[in-house]
Amino acid sequence: MKRTLAILASLIAFAGIALMIAGCSAAPAKLTLAQGKPEIDAALKAYAAEWSTANKVPVTIKSVGGSSGTDLGTQLKADLAAGDMPDIFAINGLEDYKEWANLTLDLSGEEWVKNTSVAFKVDGKVYGFPVAVEGWGMAYNGDLLAKAGIDPKTLVNYAGYKAAFEKLDAQKAALGVKSVVSMAAALDMGWVTAHHNFNSLLSNGLPYGDLSVVNALLAGDVDAKRLGEYADWVELLFKYADKTVLTTGNYDSQVGAFATGKAVFLHQGNWTDPNMAQAKATFPMAFAPHGSMAEATDGIFAAAPSFYVVNKNSKNVKAAKKFLNDLVFSEAGNKYMVEGAGMIPAFSNVKLNPTGQLSKSVQAYSAAGKVYSWSQYYFTGDFRDKTLAPIYNQFATGAIDKAKFVELMTKAFQGLKK
Amino acid sequence: MRKAKHPPVFWLFLAPVLVAFVLVIVVPFLLGVYYSFTNWSATARIGENLAFIGFGNYAKILKDPSFAYSFMLTVVYTILNMIAINVIAFSLAMLVTQRLKGRNVYRAGFFVPNLIGGLILGYIWQFIFNNAVPSIGTLLGFDSWAAAENLVLAKSATALLALVVVGAWQYAGYIMVIYVAAIENIPQELIEAAQIDGASPLRRLFAITLPMTSQAFTITLFLTLVNSFKQFDVNVSLTAGGPAVMFMDQPIYGTQLLAMNIYNQGFKSNDMAGGQARAVIFFLVLAIVSVIQVSVNKKKEIEL
Repeated sequence: MKRTLAILASLIAFAGIALMIAGCSAAPAKLTLAQGKPEIDAALKAYAAEWSTANKVPVTIKSVGGSSGTDLGTQLKADLAAGDMPDIFAINGLEDYKEWANLTLDLSGEEWVKNTSVAFKVDGKVYGFPVAVEGWGMAYNGDLLAKAGIDPKTLVNYAGYKAAFEKLDAQKAALGVKSVVSMAAALDMGWVTAHHNFNSLLSNGLPYGDLSVVNALLAGDVDAKRLGEYADWVELLFKYADKTVLTTGNYDSQVGAFATGKAVFLHQGNWTDPNMAQAKATFPMAFAPHGSMAEATDGIFAAAPSFYVVNKNSKNVKAAKKFLNDLVFSEAGNKYMVEGAGMIPAFSNVKLNPTGQLSKSVQAYSAAGKVYSWSQYYFTGDFRDKTLAPIYNQFATGAIDKAKFVELMTKAFQGLKK
Repeated sequence: MRKAKHPPVFWLFLAPVLVAFVLVIVVPFLLGVYYSFTNWSATARIGENLAFIGFGNYAKILKDPSFAYSFMLTVVYTILNMIAINVIAFSLAMLVTQRLKGRNVYRAGFFVPNLIGGLILGYIWQFIFNNAVPSIGTLLGFDSWAAAENLVLAKSATALLALVVVGAWQYAGYIMVIYVAAIENIPQELIEAAQIDGASPLRRLFAITLPMTSQAFTITLFLTLVNSFKQFDVNVSLTAGGPAVMFMDQPIYGTQLLAMNIYNQGFKSNDMAGGQARAVIFFLVLAIVSVIQVSVNKKKEIEL
């Protein structure tokens, strides 16, 4: 008995000393970066390992996202509660920034700020490092369009798309496709409908950065004509989509249908390039503008939607700043961004070009200045996921018709008025 | 009541459990109740300090149709799931306590689904419902199986049944083990006496097996009740709350059970305190219902 107690007591003492040592030792600099793009996880980890050896600062990369149950915001809340906030973390636009505003460091004085036009700014101060330029439109399979005798240049408005979809639908068997469009509207794919597609309503056809429609909707004023035309466009997409993928499919089944030539169009962005490479999809592909209006619109949606911010309370601010600067100014950093991760860099001094066909298409539109904003982040995630996504989903499953869709959308916006 | 006096060493041995219980159950529970009366967001917003707001969060819940819907849906799901799991588990237990060849293999086999994590299970079954079933239908010549509108997960009613199927598949083996133990504990002489008296197997089931295993029913009904009520992982991975439905004139998630509703309120809507308030209501309801269930079941138990 006594012996047992002695062993127990010594174990407890030992544990206590170990804890004290761990608590007291001064922590050497180390970096943690949390980001929400799982598709670049491997490339980023490889680059971080290289950077760690060169700078003698260990870097931990946490990649969270890509599915319904988890996203970066969820992980960050848990990290904050645990007192384990990363030194660098990613945010998406203004509504996301507001959640973390108390923690973000002013980066206005950084070297890279001069080399980009799309840094995240609030009241003239720079807070976010643009991760990459991303864009989406209607990705099309060039071979199939040529075979069907459709000129992609006609795909600029509702009428152009309607004619093309009808023509393609009539020759589905000859082309060997299952459906014209690969679209997803299941509730966990709400980011395709209620985030990306929704943006057509907000910014299509408007000058870059024009928030007139956004502000009107946030104030509860609905432009019935614009919404009506947009509803026609959503109906058209849903009508010519493979119903199985549309109502129950996930990201893989949506992208897979296009990559394997089972669909002519894909409603996604240039981040699918790595997926296309994986699926060995080598057919010519590019983006066409959305046809959400009767009037012709000739641009796609391109922006830097995601930004790295530095945690103000981090003990490693210096290392964090260096990490970001090295991405822009070191050769290894540029190579990682463009070749490793396949991203379109948001910095003017980076001379490399991504190899993915869809990324090249986004670059071409950007270079020509034919781009429209991403404005969906002016609406809260709560509004998009819990209010809008169920409306799109019911429209897709056929539970409601177009008139009801317009009515519910109108009601949702009117509910935003405070 | 007898006043227990324990020697100090009693408390020493109890200490590790007591400390763990207080730290990870009691303290978080009380903190949680406290947070449900505040405006806690779990993020770092400017100019927002933790403030006491009374019953504000609870008042908001009453106005939210999605909570009412999730509540009713969870009750329906729990009833269906309890019936399905217990009927299947008891039948399996009867089966594997017969003199079968290789019954140990069956026992192990029926238990295995319980060892697979709920998230993975959900994704596996999503594949079965979305891809395997339509393919089998096409092979057999029933093309209608592959039609989008006939997919199990495409309608909220059938998607709920899919949740019950997966829940039962996962949990029946575990409950079966409890029933097996109970059935094997029935004194052999009772069964032999009944057999000599010429009682039919059905009569033996109702007159001997069921009453003699009523203690097991207290446990199994409690476990299935609580676990069905708390269902989260399969819900997230199998249906993700979809498809959407209209309820009280508002578009909402059609298969979102209570636990997922709480999670989404906390993490998707950035309203941790609101989610916490929902969790407190969830706890109260579940505690009351399960106490009633156990006391009703206890009355039916017989002691030898």
